[in-house]
Amino acid sequence: MILKPCSREKEVADLLRRGQWPSACPPELRAHLSACRSCGDLALVTETFLRARSEAASAARISTPGALWWRAQIRRRNAAVERIGKPILGAQIFALAINLFIVVAFIAYQARHGLSWLSWLEQLPQAYSLHLDNLSQSALLHPGWSLMVLIPAVATLALLGGVVVYLASEKQ
Amino acid sequence: MKEPLPMHRESVLPNVLAGDAPRAAESPMDSDAFAGFYERSARPLWAYLARVSGDPTLADDLMQESFVRFLCASRPDEGEVAGRRYLFRIATNLLRDHWRRPRQSSIEEIPEEFFAASTSSALSESLGPALACMRPRDRQLLWLAHAEGYSHREIAQITGLAAASIRILLFRARRKIANLLRQQSSPTRRQP
Repeated sequence: MILKPCSREKEVADLLRRGQWPSACPPELRAHLSACRSCGDLALVTETFLRARSEAASAARISTPGALWWRAQIRRRNAAVERIGKPILGAQIFALAINLFIVVAFIAYQARHGLSWLSWLEQLPQAYSLHLDNLSQSALLHPGWSLMVLIPAVATLALLGGVVVYLASEKQ
Repeated sequence: MKEPLPMHRESVLPNVLAGDAPRAAESPMDSDAFAGFYERSARPLWAYLARVSGDPTLADDLMQESFVRFLCASRPDEGEVAGRRYLFRIATNLLRDHWRRPRQSSIEEIPEEFFAASTSSALSESLGPALACMRPRDRQLLWLAHAEGYSHREIAQITGLAAASIRILLFRARRKIANLLRQQSSPTRRQP
């Protein structure tokens, strides 16, 4: 197909766009249209599309703009919540990573310097049945052990407490 | 020394439910301006969507989604003409997404019959049958050029096609639909 635009296409398009077709069309342009296929196509297609546009526009079922406005605002708000939530999630992951690192470092330190703590754990079920009296007694006899148990226990409780408080506030 | 302001999560969020939407949303339009824009743009947009998709129900859905996305988009206020062009761009992309979804393939690979089959009888008068025989992209180009009166450059912005290719694509599409319209009208002319 050879693309051959006509120099009078703009003239025809302007008349169609202004709604002056065919009433204001000069006779010589009308004669040109019957001879020029490009302009003929343009006139036929534009006229048909403009008619179809006005028919379709009158058949349109238009809802109220207020509902769309509020829907958009709620969507914007949700997007803003999501944007703010991303750094919070990042901070939570960072805090968890730090906590895990501390726990691992503590265990590694204890394994290297306080192997007696591990042996105490091994001896515990063999030597005594689990009674609080026995535990407190052993703690009194070996003050280093009580600290080794106490610090991770308090840290774990603090961590769990923080998580519980955060979840409760999130639900509210 | 100035005390730092207390930072609360809710203070940085748009307080929509408290009726503080225009300030909080930072939209280039307030609700009154939007109502005016909607009144002037909704019908042409619906006509575009309904004619190009051939499905008035789909046009309803896509029109609503287009306006919501238009309001959610953070873009500078460049006036109503540019706003409408942007709205048509959103609608064009939504249509393209809709066509791509069922078969998970390129819009160019989908046969014309697939789209022609979904054409509603409600919109099938003079233009309907001819338009249903055209490829979706050609329908979009023809509608934007001949019904909306957009220039080649504006059509390129709306459709995302290269401006240089619009002219040739439009020329071919126009010739094809003109032939179809002539074929369609010729049997009626012969009748006494």
